Amino acid sequence: MRIRPRFFIGVGLIAAAIGYLIFSAIRTTSEYYLTVPEVAARQTELGGQALRVAGRVKAGNIDWDPNTLTLKFEIVPIPDVDNGAVKPVVASDPVSFRVVCAGEPKPDMFAPGRDVIVEGKLGADGTIAATQVMTSCPSKYKPKQSQ
Amino acid sequence: MPQLGNLALAIALILAVYSIVANIYGARRNSPDFVVSARHALWAMCAMVTIAMLVLWSALLRSDFSLEYVASYSSTTLPTVYKITSLWGGQQGSLMFWTWLLSIFTSIAAFQNRRRNSEIAPYALAVLAGVAIFFLLMLNFVTRPFDLLATVPAEGSDLNPLLQNYWMAIHPPSLYTGYVSATVPFAFGAAALITGKLDDGWIRSTRRWAIFSWFFLTLGNMFGARWAYEVLGWGGYWAWDPVENAAFMPWLVMTAYLHSVMIQERKDMLKVWNLSLIGLAFGLTLFGTFITRSGVISSVHSFTQSGLGPYFLSFLITVTLGYSALLIFRSKQLRSPAEFESYLSREAAFLFNNLMLVGIAFAVFWGTIFPVLSEAVRGVKITVGPPFFNRVNGPLALGLVFLMGVGPLIAWRRTTTSNLVRSFAAPVVIGVATGIVARAEGLRIWYVLTAFSLAAFVMGTVLVEFRRGVNARRHMVSEPRAKALVNLVAKNNRRYGGYIIHVGVIVAFVGIVGSSFFRTEVKKSVHAGDSFSIGSYTLRFQGLEQSDTPHLESATALVEVLRPDGREITVMTPAKLFFKRPQQPATKVAIRSTPLNDLYVVLAGIGDDGQTATFEVFLTPLVFWLWAGGLMMVLGTVVVMWPNVRERAAIATALSRQSTGAPELANVGAPGGD
Repeated sequence: MRIRPRFFIGVGLIAAAIGYLIFSAIRTTSEYYLTVPEVAARQTELGGQALRVAGRVKAGNIDWDPNTLTLKFEIVPIPDVDNGAVKPVVASDPVSFRVVCAGEPKPDMFAPGRDVIVEGKLGADGTIAATQVMTSCPSKYKPKQSQ
Repeated sequence: MPQLGNLALAIALILAVYSIVANIYGARRNSPDFVVSARHALWAMCAMVTIAMLVLWSALLRSDFSLEYVASYSSTTLPTVYKITSLWGGQQGSLMFWTWLLSIFTSIAAFQNRRRNSEIAPYALAVLAGVAIFFLLMLNFVTRPFDLLATVPAEGSDLNPLLQNYWMAIHPPSLYTGYVSATVPFAFGAAALITGKLDDGWIRSTRRWAIFSWFFLTLGNMFGARWAYEVLGWGGYWAWDPVENAAFMPWLVMTAYLHSVMIQERKDMLKVWNLSLIGLAFGLTLFGTFITRSGVISSVHSFTQSGLGPYFLSFLITVTLGYSALLIFRSKQLRSPAEFESYLSREAAFLFNNLMLVGIAFAVFWGTIFPVLSEAVRGVKITVGPPFFNRVNGPLALGLVFLMGVGPLIAWRRTTTSNLVRSFAAPVVIGVATGIVARAEGLRIWYVLTAFSLAAFVMGTVLVEFRRGVNARRHMVSEPRAKALVNLVAKNNRRYGGYIIHVGVIVAFVGIVGSSFFRTEVKKSVHAGDSFSIGSYTLRFQGLEQSDTPHLESATALVEVLRPDGREITVMTPAKLFFKRPQQPATKVAIRSTPLNDLYVVLAGIGDDGQTATFEVFLTPLVFWLWAGGLMMVLGTVVVMWPNVRERAAIATALSRQSTGAPELANVGAPGGD
């Protein structure tokens, strides 16, 4: 197939336009996707940034007010699962962040010990003001543990 | 019994290996006996996989929990229909289902080509068998569906409640059918490259397969969107989740392919492009399975994070490298003598439509893998959500819609000004008028104005085309208008079926634009007897009804819907379900759909007193038209695929190596469909 030179202009323009759209959209819409320890490590530089934080709901300290649709809880790191190996006990001070999500119903799967993805912004006081809390699928769909 | 399943899968693998050897040997030595034997081996392979499927189905129906798969994805209380569908509810089962479809399609392709395409068919069947070998290796050695449990549990752990829905019965099979049937045109393309028979024979022989695949990809995406809409309870139907994207990308590339092959059939151009597109489409089906099964990209519905990822990635890389090497090896023979002459030509319109489709597919791909890329390059995971996809694809969709109007009407090669005016004057007037009226009605969002104007423009072009065709027929044979219309579509089903699909796409597009820009939402906690309003509707919460069965517990809210004048329209019953095994809550959405808007009520929570409920209510305009458009696309595709004598003759001529320029308009003398 041959394409005349002036067709390259048209093809090039369209390709450039698509490239520009992708580039500019990435710049304006990207969010950090971090784990709880990563947020702790970068806390100072993340203020006001759009974030997605993956963590686990800490048992206790969960407060759900159905009248104002406000959900308050704490997230802690998701422990590593090392293919059935004995997990080292984490002795260091546990990092956790307070999450406040207002104006959204509580997700069906939300429960202590569940893994969640929190979308929102980190405030100066270390509280994540969440716009959305998403729950991962239930544990049954985790990989088989090798025995 | 499980041993029978294992045995059948092992034999199927051996047969697949044999059929490759016999096919290639037979084709090279020109020994038809071996080719026949290879074909029989493929049929036997299909029979073996079928036996394995029946064994697993029977185990599911008998709740034989000695099988790990049955114990993990079923239970005694699961309704029978979901026992059947749980065959594709888990990884091993869905891979086997995939393999089964592939073996069926391979058998059909072998049957279709038993007396034709004797040069490329053996190689194409060998490629198909090669793909089957990959899946059979997985089933035999990596993710075995018939593994037994050491201790047989008394009860299974049941199917994920989200999958206990009737869409579950049809969405995955449709999508898999679409994915897997794309393998057939890919195999013929690869065979054309291997043998050097690079005319459009491979395209013509597999045109129906490509449309068939596109049809089921369309259905699969539509069903998936509908499933999300009815089940997930967030009021939308598409979230640009990686798994959705994985189903959307092959659809885009297949759409591009179906258009660009027309250029090759008519003008003998774009050979490399077509071969690349079909390779890309097939690669994307593997990529889709890879990202769903590997857990590389976090998805809201990554059901299984398994060890399959590396295998799929290796296979994907092997296929990509092998196919690219073939393309480079044949690149000299793929040069086309013809060239593009003018921007104002159908070739150019199709070329740009292809660029748009592939551009959208690329943007979707880029957004999907961006977290992985950014982590590799910058050391930090950065995700892009729906805003990214909407910002990039919004403008591209407008360009695509514009080209949908231009492509079918503009002349091949080049167009004169008077021709342009004659074809496009009426559609342009319709489009502009729509924009003016919408603006006068108070619509101010430029994107929506442009989208609705372009949609009207495309509708105008389709009307012009139908009018032209009907008039041409009436000019030659005096028929009443209605009869002329029916005959026109019946005798040129490929062309006019295509226009029906275009109308469906536009209708769905209008639905998508309307529902994306004008959705409103109310969240409220209310006591029994209280009411609240959304749009012009008033909703009154009357109370909760509880029920309890061995399978699930439920609480149903009774919500009266009132018009502004206080008249009751209907009572909606959103519910909260609590499945007992696994112990898991789920939401049942209530939807009242009208052409103007959908009222979508979610019971988001229940107060401890049993008298308070939290509701999330969405009012979504025009979303009805998304599903209506999908239905039209399906109807149009059925028209396109309807058997047509004239087309068979065209294939026969093409196969006897004569160049054809198929007549297109109002071919009166030709016999109708059979």
